[in-house]
Amino acid sequence: MKARWSIPALVTAMLILFVIGLFSGPARLEWSQEWAALRGDGGVTAETIMWKLRLPRLVSAALSGAALGLSGLLMQTFFRNPLAGPGVLGVSSGATLGVALVALGGAGMGSVSSTLGIGPQVVGALIGGGAVMVLLGLVMGRFRSRTALLIFGLMVGYLAGALVTVLQAGAEAGALQAFVHWGMGSFAHGGWTSCTIMVCALTPAVLWSWRASSSLDMWTMGALTAKTMGVDEKALSWSALGSAGVLAALVTAWCGPVAFLGLATPHLVRAAGIKGRHAALLFPVVLTGSTVALLADLVVRLAGVPLNAVLSLVGAPVVLMLIVGRGRIFSKARNR
Amino acid sequence: MKAGLACSSLTLSHPSEGVGTLSFFLPPGSTMVVIGRNGSGKSTLLKTLAGILPPRSGTVTLDSASMASMRPRERAHRLAFVSATPPRGTSLTVSDVMELALEAGGHPVQADRVNQAMEEGGVQQWAQMPLDTLSDGMAQRVMLARAAAQSDALVLLDEPTAFLDVVGRREVMADVARWRQAGKTVIMATHDLDAVQESGWADRWLLMRPPSQGGSVVPNEPFTSSAAKALLIGQD
Repeated sequence: MKARWSIPALVTAMLILFVIGLFSGPARLEWSQEWAALRGDGGVTAETIMWKLRLPRLVSAALSGAALGLSGLLMQTFFRNPLAGPGVLGVSSGATLGVALVALGGAGMGSVSSTLGIGPQVVGALIGGGAVMVLLGLVMGRFRSRTALLIFGLMVGYLAGALVTVLQAGAEAGALQAFVHWGMGSFAHGGWTSCTIMVCALTPAVLWSWRASSSLDMWTMGALTAKTMGVDEKALSWSALGSAGVLAALVTAWCGPVAFLGLATPHLVRAAGIKGRHAALLFPVVLTGSTVALLADLVVRLAGVPLNAVLSLVGAPVVLMLIVGRGRIFSKARNR
Repeated sequence: MKAGLACSSLTLSHPSEGVGTLSFFLPPGSTMVVIGRNGSGKSTLLKTLAGILPPRSGTVTLDSASMASMRPRERAHRLAFVSATPPRGTSLTVSDVMELALEAGGHPVQADRVNQAMEEGGVQQWAQMPLDTLSDGMAQRVMLARAAAQSDALVLLDEPTAFLDVVGRREVMADVARWRQAGKTVIMATHDLDAVQESGWADRWLLMRPPSQGGSVVPNEPFTSSAAKALLIGQD
């Protein structure tokens, strides 16, 4: 697929999935009723379904997919590692621990029962995910190989997982159930507040990535070359890690630790033939993230399977293909 | 304003704090080869000259402007740097790299300028190929073409031929000889003494060695590999 066709094609796919998602669901409303509800005269029930459930869920899916795709692209570029992503590097684990502390440990905000509180949960995810990103930024100079970075993420995952288990063991049944449910991933929990905050985080991140796209390109040629080509290492590190971390942590706060979307989206775009500079990759990655998230959400609603199951069924083969298929990640692209 | 690259009372930072004090001046359009044993501080010196490592003491000035006080973007307009290993794991094509080089150097990024830069560097036949698919020798030629496109004034080369075969070495040396003709200032750290002598571009040379062995010197005699070897081997 040529880069110049990719954006209209992806926008069309997104719109189609959005419309299908908007007019399907377990409530079995008539088309006319759904349409009337959208315009504001379809009765309380239909309007609630359309405006409070379906629309925010779809918008949340599109925004989360875009955010995770961009987060994955920035991490893969910054760490020069094709297997980097929010899940792999432990950012999702850190955010999960942060949410667990709030939801199960009752840190600060008393007991959280059937529905997770939005405010403290977001703060928990941001602190947990942010801590892992800062730690990564501090120690990455010591990693001698790509593998070391991946092992770091794995170990952070184990540590956070162990602490989460401790919290789960001592949690009350209601909170535990809500937390486990959250962990399966879903775009249904956010609501309009989360969508607004996501837009506020995603917009500057996309704008910055666009403006810094040449610096990001140079960064892929190695830190030394990039620095002598005029890249301000400190500014780039803070902005790239900050954007990637905040986006991943925000999505995790509302949608759970969403699997594979961040890691696999940039590879899907490259597999479709869009390669080279970040200016050409950025929007296809953002739109592909949205499209895949909308598609996955549709499967979730039609088949009744949890989101992370759907994404893992697609994502795991993508990663396996990357490693086994053409064997390019760990052979040709040596770590220097 | 005095044009050229000047080092005065320069001492290098870790791990090369022990190599003593360096002072030299390089007028515009002249070339210098930096030699010395492994660990003698050649890389540290080049990175210090490039302004990406702060010196322990002393100053580096380019056309009377202090390197340390320049912003990264400003430095990239004035100098380019090539390291021993070409980049791996990037999905950029050769023409992408040349576009970025022109942008980094503050030049207009136009298709004809990109083509011209690729032709001058002898890499236009790989224009649409990803850098990752090229051999070490080919990729290093691209990095040299990149540096030439980025900076009209000063190019620093840190052992650019370390991983190349005989033909690759010759091509790199020939590039440097051409740059000298075009009036670029070039500093190259290398162990390839014979290849440097053969291509004959070195106007002057700097031998780096610790004070205990006589200290670093910029000999007055013209560079020959035999004179360089005598100094290198004689120091033990």
